[in-house]
Amino acid sequence: MTESQLIRQAAEGDARSIRALYERYAPRVFAVVRRIAGEDEAAQDYAQEAWIRAVRALPTFRGDARFSTWLHRIAVNSALQALRRSETRRRREAPFPAEVPVGPRGGDTLLQRRLEQALDTLPEGMRQVLILHDVEGYTHEEIGDALGVAAGTSKSQLFKARAKMRELLSSLDGSTQESGAEAWSI
Amino acid sequence: MEHLTREALARLVDEAPLREEADHLDACRSCALELEALRAQSRALGSLPEIRPPLGDWDVLEARLRSEGLIQVPSLLSRLTLAQTPAWMRMAAAAALFLGGSLMGAALGSKGPAGGELAATGPDETLFAGMDDVDAAAAAVRSAEVNYINALARYRQLLEQGGENGVLGDPSSRFAALEYLVAAGQAAVRQAPADPFLNGLLASTLAEREATLRRISTRQDNWF
Repeated sequence: MTESQLIRQAAEGDARSIRALYERYAPRVFAVVRRIAGEDEAAQDYAQEAWIRAVRALPTFRGDARFSTWLHRIAVNSALQALRRSETRRRREAPFPAEVPVGPRGGDTLLQRRLEQALDTLPEGMRQVLILHDVEGYTHEEIGDALGVAAGTSKSQLFKARAKMRELLSSLDGSTQESGAEAWSI
Repeated sequence: MEHLTREALARLVDEAPLREEADHLDACRSCALELEALRAQSRALGSLPEIRPPLGDWDVLEARLRSEGLIQVPSLLSRLTLAQTPAWMRMAAAAALFLGGSLMGAALGSKGPAGGELAATGPDETLFAGMDDVDAAAAAVRSAEVNYINALARYRQLLEQGGENGVLGDPSSRFAALEYLVAAGQAAVRQAPADPFLNGLLASTLAEREATLRRISTRQDNWF
């Protein structure tokens, strides 16, 4: 079955087609949402929300863009909105936000794990720009649209984020070298 | 010699350097190495792999999609393909069918529809009252699920055996049977509210009951 057939049937509520699309794209959706969320538990909620939105919006998908691009945008917007909502709630409910430790996931290489750990540690604004630009390949104009900021702001945040990331990786490298682990090198 | 800042170097990852920056990079090995490290960092970020969602993610999503009406509810008969149910449920349902559908406390009442063709005891609302032992409660939950599956399987069997002339051939009898099945399903779902399988079955039963009701209301042979 072609992807457009799958999409058409999924838009009509066919469970098998929706599942087939899910199987194909869930890792991509979860990856971007997980990185934006910065933690596993919220990422699951955000990814579920993204899928529900996408399935609800399927009848409006006209095929102007690739389905993967369309879905990816929904996932990014969904995660950013959810993050803003949770950030507002957290500010209201807890003046001293707690750090949520994120453990390494199985199957990652050491390099990937360090990058993910450093990403999770970045301040939220920097993390979002860095993920959208360097990981997902968005332009500054697209980032500006998604985050509601000027393209210039996105640029300056990106440079700060890269510098901060480098600093974090250097410190991670230092701490793991102390414990005898493999040195950071890229 | 004053080095370039990390932010300035981060800009040079994907922008051309100004004349003085280029001159500095030519002369300063430390800054050139730092720029190369930043470029490598961006390349590594760009090749981060996809991440598989946790196991069970689809089940939760499917239940949510169903609850929001975004997935079509298939017909009861197709949902009752026992091959799709967990093994323990299949075994329980099979055992129950062999034993006449009554031993595992089928969810249909003793005054059930179709002259008692559907088994013995009704959904027992008091079954879980005062349950203070975890194992006993878990067994009771499982029992409610098995009862429901058992009753559904019995319903299917009667439908297939009798056809239009069978005990459930008449829509009114079928509707009465479905009323009992809905009650049994609701009792099971109350014990396991987050179970997507049971929720799906209950949704199918409700849909089947509504379809039967519509059929009754549009019958050509109304007595009036």
